[in-house]
Amino acid sequence: MNPKPWGDTAVVGKPVSRIDAYERLSGAAIYSLDVLLPDMLHAAILRCPHAHAIVKKVDASAALAMPGVRAVLTDADQEARIPWHPDAQGKPVSRLFDPHCRCEGEEVAAVAAETPQQAADALRRIRVEYETRPFVIEMEAAHRAGATQVHDGGNYVYPPGTGDTERGDVAKGFAEADVVLEETYRTSCEIHTTMEVHGSVAKWDGKRLTVWNTTQGVFDDQAALAAALKMPLSDVRVIGHYMGGGFGSKLNLGKYTVIAALFARKTGRPVKLFLSREETFLSVGNRPAHTMKLKAGVRKDGTLTALELNGIGTVGAYTDWTTVGYQVADLYLCPNVRVKELQVYTHAGQSRPFRAPGFPQCSWALEQMMDALAEKIGMDPVEFRLKNIAAVSQAEENKPYTSTGFAECLREGARVFGWRQARERKKGDGAWVRGAGMAGGMWGYAGGPPSTAIVRLYADGSVNLNIGASDLGTGTKTVMAMVVAEELGVPLDRIQIESADTATTQYTGASGGSKTVMVDSPAVRAAALEVKAALVQMAAGQLQAAASGLSLVNGEIVSADSPDKRVKVQDLKTLKEQQVVVGVGRRGPNPAGKVIRPFAAQFAEVEVNTRTGEMRVLRMAAAHDSGRVMNRLTYENQVFGGMTMGIGLAMTEQRILDRETGKMVNANWHDYKIPTMKDAPADMTCVAIDPHDHECDTTSTKGLGEPAMVPTAAAVANAFYHATGVRMTSAPITPAEAIAALSKRRKG
Amino acid sequence: MLSQFAYRKAGSVQEAIELSSRPGARILAGGSDLLGCLRDGVFSADRIVSISGLKELKGVAATAGGGMRIGALATLAEIAGHPRLRQAYPALAQAAAAAASPQLRNQGTIGGNLCQRPRCWYFRGDFPCARKGGDTCYAIAGENQLHCIFGGEGCYMVHPSDTAPALLALDAKVRIQGRKGARTIPLASFFVLPSVDPRRENALAPGELLTEILLDPPEPGARGLYRKVRERGAFDFALVGAAIVLAISEGTVKKARVALSGVAPVPWRSEEAEAALAGKKLDQQAIAAAAAAAVKDAEPLSGNGYKIPLVRGMVEDALSALAG
Ligand SMILES: Cc1cc2nc3c(=O)[nH]c(=O)nc-3n(C[C@H](O)[C@H](O)[C@H](O)COP(=O)(O)OP(=O)(O)OC[C@H]3O[C@@H](n4cnc5c(N)ncnc54)[C@H](O)[C@@H]3O)c2cc1C
Repeated sequence: MNPKPWGDTAVVGKPVSRIDAYERLSGAAIYSLDVLLPDMLHAAILRCPHAHAIVKKVDASAALAMPGVRAVLTDADQEARIPWHPDAQGKPVSRLFDPHCRCEGEEVAAVAAETPQQAADALRRIRVEYETRPFVIEMEAAHRAGATQVHDGGNYVYPPGTGDTERGDVAKGFAEADVVLEETYRTSCEIHTTMEVHGSVAKWDGKRLTVWNTTQGVFDDQAALAAALKMPLSDVRVIGHYMGGGFGSKLNLGKYTVIAALFARKTGRPVKLFLSREETFLSVGNRPAHTMKLKAGVRKDGTLTALELNGIGTVGAYTDWTTVGYQVADLYLCPNVRVKELQVYTHAGQSRPFRAPGFPQCSWALEQMMDALAEKIGMDPVEFRLKNIAAVSQAEENKPYTSTGFAECLREGARVFGWRQARERKKGDGAWVRGAGMAGGMWGYAGGPPSTAIVRLYADGSVNLNIGASDLGTGTKTVMAMVVAEELGVPLDRIQIESADTATTQYTGASGGSKTVMVDSPAVRAAALEVKAALVQMAAGQLQAAASGLSLVNGEIVSADSPDKRVKVQDLKTLKEQQVVVGVGRRGPNPAGKVIRPFAAQFAEVEVNTRTGEMRVLRMAAAHDSGRVMNRLTYENQVFGGMTMGIGLAMTEQRILDRETGKMVNANWHDYKIPTMKDAPADMTCVAIDPHDHECDTTSTKGLGEPAMVPTAAAVANAFYHATGVRMTSAPITPAEAIAALSKRRKG
Repeated sequence: MLSQFAYRKAGSVQEAIELSSRPGARILAGGSDLLGCLRDGVFSADRIVSISGLKELKGVAATAGGGMRIGALATLAEIAGHPRLRQAYPALAQAAAAAASPQLRNQGTIGGNLCQRPRCWYFRGDFPCARKGGDTCYAIAGENQLHCIFGGEGCYMVHPSDTAPALLALDAKVRIQGRKGARTIPLASFFVLPSVDPRRENALAPGELLTEILLDPPEPGARGLYRKVRERGAFDFALVGAAIVLAISEGTVKKARVALSGVAPVPWRSEEAEAALAGKKLDQQAIAAAAAAAVKDAEPLSGNGYKIPLVRGMVEDALSALAG
């Protein structure tokens, strides 16, 4: 049976600093990148410098003879012939060091040496003979008949038509519209560029393998490693205590982990293999570029009559998924909707999930379209959206949402931002003009079981909390400790946390999909409640009172009827005998027949220099329905961080591949531009809309990390339009793009 | 990762010259550019000669004639914060302040800033381009959105320095010391176009050191600024930039200097824009004429045509600020 939802809370929802802030800030926290083991070797990977090539020959003899070099691995080594990159049917199409390199950065060989410098020097001495092949890097080109093929089966990841959806009568919908608009929108390929680069440390003890990995999910890695090396789960231990960011790029097992493990086995020594910053631009994923042709019909009264999306995206060289249509089918009420999406292969780095995969891209198209429609029918953009709020999930067979605070997000966000005033403010008559824009959004995924958490209460009343989840830097550990503190009244500094270690913690899915809080906090709550119930039982015996009349208050169990009947937790006799109380909590199922979704609205005011195309984001406001706020500080971290990342998508970030060679030209942190503090406005506010959703899970939480960046870029683009009257359909809006568009109008 | 090299710290200018005359030797000042190049394998070095301890190359001071002498080792932060430079040579102080990031400005020197290598992604990347002795400039057919619209020939990079156009607009001179002695040349003849030699950016011969920069006293009625357009707020080179120095008396422009960054393989003086301003009142008409003149002979590549309206708008913006 589910516990009662929380009413007023004492700890949950308050602004609480990270419980591991000192460790993180002082450098005491040991990230996988920091792990140093006695006798450890350092490994490095040689990568293919071509967009498409066949490795004809690898001569590593000179490298092997270099000082300090202990081992080399290539495709010639039987143990390294591990299948990799499953296709859409699950059949691997490549190997660890496959001689067929389908994009720049593919692994060709690796070296393990006594020092990182010796490993790097040795890489330069490996001689590789490549036969270069024609390549295709543009997704539109890959889709064309007769295009160079990335795989033998052609360039479609899934046969065209797969996953297309349609409801109602789209043609009729357009016929009924007063206004029909059609526009093609584009977003660029983005790289995750996590603060901690990707890599692993591997060590064998007999037949047992231990890996320190920078990962979003130790259990997923354990399973993938066990499968790759044909070992039982019990022989593979993955540890990921501290983590320097993932954004989706650390959900998959990396080749580097397997290579480190192979070297460690071969040499009998621990091996560390971390990628350079530059390597991470090529080979650990990206948010793929997308082209979205969107057609929309609306009546003068603001009723949407039809939506049609034709999208094309590329997964890069190997199978992944890159669809964007969910919000078109779900966010706004619309009876007639068609979504057709193509996913193609290109000779470029493989995509991976990236913070709300597909959603900011779709928002870029859909929310700019909504803005344009509102203008055409002379309706305020917020009002227009409010007219089209859905109470049921149209993309999920019209099942009701457990809650939707979308309307509230729009209203409250507009109020807090000062929407009307901002829209009416004078735009300015000098070079700099101002404008305000907004966008709505949602996230299309909810987590569920399994997750198991353990709470151990020691004889002195302090607690050990044991969770399998990885804290990616988002504050997971702090939030989970707050749940324990809430239920058991134990102060946070008396809670010790054990997390993200397959040998010592229990299974939960990876931290991704904005699901960690909604999946793991109910499990933690259940574990804490079990401890509480056990303590109450002990007290009932000791106080000779019925358990039902007892409650745990400030470290004491007290009888409601006769308040003199009370006992401190540390004074419980049974606890003294046992020395420990163990509570095991499990995440229960999601409600049947319902859909759990977070919603958001964001607002931006910008200033654009019409002479140069420079844009500054002056201020932003966000309103989010992500269910209950667990910790006000980590909540704001997610929203402000998400909006900053959204500014990157809107204004600065794009992978650039050289059209002549297919190689990435900006694979570094100067040329690939993530926003700096100067690009994010100092004035950012966020309001939390809590619909008191008591159905979604037992902590009333929905996801936040991903919705936080879904509407941002579109809000900025809409503000640019409001300021200038020029619609920027391609992201990012760099000064170059902006001045090109603005100067066209100047002449015309 | 850095390859192996020998490291020597010079005790005198003479020793620095001796040590760095050997092939394979490289001079190290603040190292913010050199170490990046070595780490990325843009070029190699057998021997690094540090000049960072040479007192005679440090400092910013007024000269007897009312001008300024800036040692090659003066940091960008020192220049950006120097009261006299900020007041009398604002174009330079602003250019130094607009470069890179606070940490890099504390570390990076003005000498290093003038001698830094190009930021072209083909030069910095894994491409055997003309500037590295190869036989082609990859920008011609490739990703040339950041490349030059003036002065390209055989190589189409843009000169990366922010301070160079400011110093050019100030008619600065540089002092160079080598085995054969010292010489002082106008900064304008320090930089080398690719048509002369695509493999080097300046007139320094191996073993030669840039020791100081000399500025004349400011003209009466001088005003100036450095305007930089970039893709993000910090930690970014100029997409394009303009250093403008005007001498205005009785409402007319007596002398104008307009030098652009981000448009050519060298800091680019626009004599056309200067001519459009000379003798004129700094009104909207003159500003528009000068802005148009600045891009009159531009030759864009396939992907950088936007630089024409951008430079024009930026010059207009900058001149309007000086007029205001
Ligand atoms: C991330 C980043 C961002 C940057 N952004 C900008 C920017 O926006 N604008 C800008 O202008 N610059 C920028 N730079 C470049 C930086 O400002 C310059 O690199 C700095 O001023 C160089 O000074 P340094 O003393 O560190 O040079 P070093 O790295 O020591 O030297 C640079 C080069 O000059 C040579 N050299 C140095 N001093 C002398 C001398 N006295 N005589 C002869 N040769 C010499 C060296 O041999 C070397 O080749 C950036 C650099 C980085 C890493």
